[in-house]
Amino acid sequence: MAKSALILCMDVGFNMSNSGPGEESPFDQAKRVIQKFVQRQVFAETKDELALVLFGTDSTKNPLDNDDQYQNITVHRNLMVPDFKLLEEIENQIHPESQQADCIFDIALNVCVLVENTTIHKLDRRNIVLLTDLNSPVSSDNLDVIIENLKQADITLQFFLPFPAEEGDGEAPGDQDRRGPGHPGTGKGLSEEQKEGLDMVKHIMLTLDEEEGLEQIYTFSAIEQLCMFKRIERRPMAWPCQLTIGSALSIRIVGYKAVTEEKLKKSWKTVDAQTNQKDDVKRETVYCLDDDNETEVQKEDIIQGFRYGSDIVPFSKVDQEQMKYTHDGKCFAVLGFTKQSSVQRHRFMGTQVIKIFPGKDDEHAAVALSALIQALHELQMVAIVRYAYDRRSNPQVGAAFPCIKQDHECLMYVQLPFMEDLRHFTFPSLENNSKFTPSDEQLSAVDSLIDSMMLVEEDEDGKQKDIFKVHDIPNPAFQRLFQCLHHRAVNPGTPLPAMESWLKATLECPEVIRERCQSALGEIKNKFTLTQVEKKKKLKTSAQIFGKDSDEPEAKKAKEDEADEEFNLADIAEGSVTSVGSVDPARDFRTLIRQKTLTFEEVCKQLTHRIEQLLGNKSTDYYMKSITCVEAFREQSVKLGNADLYNSYLQLLKSSIPTQGLESFWELLVQDGVTLISEDEVEGSTVTRNEARQFLVTERIEEAAAHPAEDPGDVDDLVRIVLL
Amino acid sequence: TQNYREERLTGRDSLVFLVDASKEMFIKGEDGAPSNFDMTMQVVRTVYTSKIISSHRDLIALVFYGTEHSKNPNDTFKHVYVYHDLDEPGAKRVQDVDALRGEKGAKLAAETLGCGPSSLGDALWCCANLYSDIKLRLSHKRLMIFTCREQPHGGDNVKDRQARTKASDLKETGVVIDLIHLMKPGGFDVSLFFRDIVSPPEDESELGLQLEPCEKLDDLQKRVRAKEQKKRATARINLCLGDGLNVAVGLYATAVTARKPPPVKLYRESNEAVRSKTRTFHTQTGSLLLPSEIKKAQTYGKKQIEMEKDEVDFIKKFDDPGLVLMGFKPMEKLKLHHHIKPSVFLYPEEGEIKGSACLFSALLKKCSEKNVYALCRCIARRNNPPRFVALVPQNEEVDDAKVQINPPGFNVIYLPYADDVRTLDLPRCTSASQEQVDKMKDIVTKLRFKYKSDAFENPVIQKHYRNLEALALDMMAPEEVEDLIMPKVEQIDRRLGSLVDEFKNLVYPANYNPESKPAAKRKTADSGGGAEKKPKVEVSMDQIKVHVQNGTLGKLTVPVLKEACKQFGVRTTGTKKQELIDALMDQLSS
Repeated sequence: MAKSALILCMDVGFNMSNSGPGEESPFDQAKRVIQKFVQRQVFAETKDELALVLFGTDSTKNPLDNDDQYQNITVHRNLMVPDFKLLEEIENQIHPESQQADCIFDIALNVCVLVENTTIHKLDRRNIVLLTDLNSPVSSDNLDVIIENLKQADITLQFFLPFPAEEGDGEAPGDQDRRGPGHPGTGKGLSEEQKEGLDMVKHIMLTLDEEEGLEQIYTFSAIEQLCMFKRIERRPMAWPCQLTIGSALSIRIVGYKAVTEEKLKKSWKTVDAQTNQKDDVKRETVYCLDDDNETEVQKEDIIQGFRYGSDIVPFSKVDQEQMKYTHDGKCFAVLGFTKQSSVQRHRFMGTQVIKIFPGKDDEHAAVALSALIQALHELQMVAIVRYAYDRRSNPQVGAAFPCIKQDHECLMYVQLPFMEDLRHFTFPSLENNSKFTPSDEQLSAVDSLIDSMMLVEEDEDGKQKDIFKVHDIPNPAFQRLFQCLHHRAVNPGTPLPAMESWLKATLECPEVIRERCQSALGEIKNKFTLTQVEKKKKLKTSAQIFGKDSDEPEAKKAKEDEADEEFNLADIAEGSVTSVGSVDPARDFRTLIRQKTLTFEEVCKQLTHRIEQLLGNKSTDYYMKSITCVEAFREQSVKLGNADLYNSYLQLLKSSIPTQGLESFWELLVQDGVTLISEDEVEGSTVTRNEARQFLVTERIEEAAAHPAEDPGDVDDLVRIVLL
Repeated sequence: TQNYREERLTGRDSLVFLVDASKEMFIKGEDGAPSNFDMTMQVVRTVYTSKIISSHRDLIALVFYGTEHSKNPNDTFKHVYVYHDLDEPGAKRVQDVDALRGEKGAKLAAETLGCGPSSLGDALWCCANLYSDIKLRLSHKRLMIFTCREQPHGGDNVKDRQARTKASDLKETGVVIDLIHLMKPGGFDVSLFFRDIVSPPEDESELGLQLEPCEKLDDLQKRVRAKEQKKRATARINLCLGDGLNVAVGLYATAVTARKPPPVKLYRESNEAVRSKTRTFHTQTGSLLLPSEIKKAQTYGKKQIEMEKDEVDFIKKFDDPGLVLMGFKPMEKLKLHHHIKPSVFLYPEEGEIKGSACLFSALLKKCSEKNVYALCRCIARRNNPPRFVALVPQNEEVDDAKVQINPPGFNVIYLPYADDVRTLDLPRCTSASQEQVDKMKDIVTKLRFKYKSDAFENPVIQKHYRNLEALALDMMAPEEVEDLIMPKVEQIDRRLGSLVDEFKNLVYPANYNPESKPAAKRKTADSGGGAEKKPKVEVSMDQIKVHVQNGTLGKLTVPVLKEACKQFGVRTTGTKKQELIDALMDQLSS
């Protein structure tokens, strides 16, 4: 397994806290670099190990500290996988100190080499990162020894300095933007020590790597590059198989997932809000019949069936296993070849692209596959193949495209649709409709908009330059999540931060384009009329949804009478009501309040628990029942002159709408006009009449703005929602 | 699920097949080609079975007119035969339709239906009653008339007028009437009668009426399918070109992976469906937990970090739903391998913002002309993080029979982020010589075929439904499913003939066998390395503790981790590596 060990070696000597007025000290800058770096490692969950060595410390703690030469060097942390503890320590325990030892950094390097060598693991990469302002006097006495040590241990070295390395040498143009503008400290010019130190650094780096050594010297402002949390890396899994054409020709191949929507490895766990313990929360699924009593059914009394249209067919797991489609397993078999143009890009299915290479260490397979790739390329054709990952997975049909690059050749496999996947929607023609046909003027306005917004341009050398490469952008959802998690971990008890500005910027239209397209955009605004269609939102009352249309007032009335009667009957039987049941919670609630055997608070609590339960079912019938509960809650609260419980519950309910997916329930509530209890109704209510009305109104606007759109629907998506 | 959810808000879709059963319909084509009636029944069957798979809650009816016998509620209408009233399609109905197919079907039709005088007016009236008898809320109502007679009443003005009145009544109640006219000698003149019966097309074009009559089953299938599937936008959002300039668009899922539906849980005693309820409660007190009483947590770097539920949503929210234009790129910049999920289709929503269609149309035309695509940031629904998409222009395309193959609009291609593109170690490749390539070209050319995206049925799903069908209808054995994605090996071998050996001689040495296990010689060479791998060693409890402390549990293998869980008495429900690690960390790091 590829693994690396990295040592962050930071100068904390007193020289590091020197800074000009209003400037951030080199110490603070270096600390930020380290923080960002460790953060990145923690969230990437790599197994790479990391150590932290400080030099210029007042105390001394290192494996060589009995030697006088190795004073003021502290190994703060030995090589291990970085965690939040380290981040907290960096935040709270690392301060500028007052020492300045001679020849310190070359000695520190020695310690680092030693630390690197402490690890017992086989490492693919060893790296030391040194952060210093080079202000401590250096001697070059044992430089050669150090370089030799580094070389021998195959350790690479990086420097982070407060100033660019090329200062004074006449900076190379074009390097400007890599370093970012403004290097604190450069204005004052370098001290003698720094100049000397810089020469030495350059000497070391060039000795280690003649060609690119100097590129490994960064400035502290390189922090912008570190801001991004490391992108998620996954080790590609090899999928060895045989490509077959008929029964007689097969080629050994190996496939790798090349592109796929990466998901986070971790999902949210549910914990108790008080204890923060996962074990305190249990989720349980129970089954019940769809009758009035919601009779619970034991798990062992449940069998499975499937729908066949209107029929439900009992179909046991055993039968299903026996009768299901089976196949021979792993397979990459050519069904035939077809023109590339007949496989349309928008018909690509599935969630991945697999690259197919010849079998490992098999030169003959390589030649055979190469012949196929080149043949397809020259003929502009693709192979249509049957692909099955293994025996357990469903076979697919897909296309294998030839892909020829300078340094490699491969086939690219993409899944294609089955007949059952396709929906043949017909849309009205846009061309044959005079109302929609744009005029020449309008067309030319759009034409210039496109010209002004081209993201790919040719530079002076005729080379194409793409200024907005999506596949270079890290998934912002991950970046944002990590930012918030980090914030919560290091600054507990404070609200979550706003999105970082660099992340926001990567998602926006590039500034150059935005400026360039202004006039074209204005032209479009002049040439086209776009008017928002005022829509009278169809007022659905809950009764309508429930199936009773407004033109049936008679029936409705009768139903209400019935309800009254039921209520009277309930009065007679009310002696038996001891808690808010599930059959008619609103009735039980009213009865219990009248009985006064339980406190108002207690009865309300029981009712709200029932409401939560009902809402958990996410179906109109249960929403209806819930609304009658809320209405009863409101009615009794007004009657008793106690608005607080009801109002705070309704506010809580409102806040839980997005998380619980209760939009349609809320809509019913809004249309039935169930709002907060205002001070007009109950004295002592903290809600004004206007606020009570506003409570629903604002919601309606939000609702209209954020239309509950549906995703094309994906099992993975569904699973993720369930996990939350 | 998606259809189901939408339906709860809007109602069910319904479809009535009104089929002419006159004797003209039963005339066989030349060379024994199936009669119009036979073709129609095949199409009806296809619609029934596809509805069962894709949208089983839609309602379908099958009504014949011009019959001798009558069958309808109270037998109000003569010569109208309601074969199936409006209901969800099921196994029995598929069987019923099957019975009307082919030679035997014609015989059965002659016995049960018979041929008699036609009154389209009565037939339409009868259909109107079918709709009004339905107690469910109907969202989309469609009626398809299948006939090969351009004048069903032979010029009887009274009957014609009556039919027109009934048709306009139906249309007024929101029923869309389509004519699927079938081939008859001398051509089918729609203007003689049916022009006033059918609903006008959605656009201004006369497309619907210019259509040639269907002659082939294929055409018929296509035409019916194009009408039968009600398109629904999965989202209606704004495409912002910048600076508050918005075009309203709808997103349509035109390709969705069909899956075997999840099983329904049934009560053993009664075979009735049960509902499931999931509850969250406190382990110790057993009381139900309100949303306010739970939090969400993740563990990173050995630390559990908690968030409120609404904070979790807050983190995911970047912006309100919508498409935001970033700029344009030449088409060749759209890489074939930048694919992460099926694309969706974009079409203007004139009903939301007036003028959208015009600007959309201009954008489509120009993008297509200049061969560029639009790059947009896309948030399809609330609290979804953004994705970048390519809007690829697609011009309208119709086939010879004037049936739309590709609608006009943009295909929305989802683009990968840096995280989604994996770095692969590229193996060093040996290139083939031109001679070898040329031989392969011969092979490729021999195996050419015309690919059509709807040519392959999913054998897994088909098999599943055949099984259900057999069980539902008490059949002895399910109907065989032909696995269309199985290579036709014999045919391929025959077509290739000696080419395979010639190619193999060019690329493979004599003793080479690609079927054998990967290179045996490598094994011997590396055997030292293989033997070095020690048999699984048990890791001591102390070592585990060290790993916990250093956060290096990930180095251990799953069996070792499992064993460690056992040793420390850590309860785990999970079997995945991360779950085991989390469990051990939870227990041992505190």
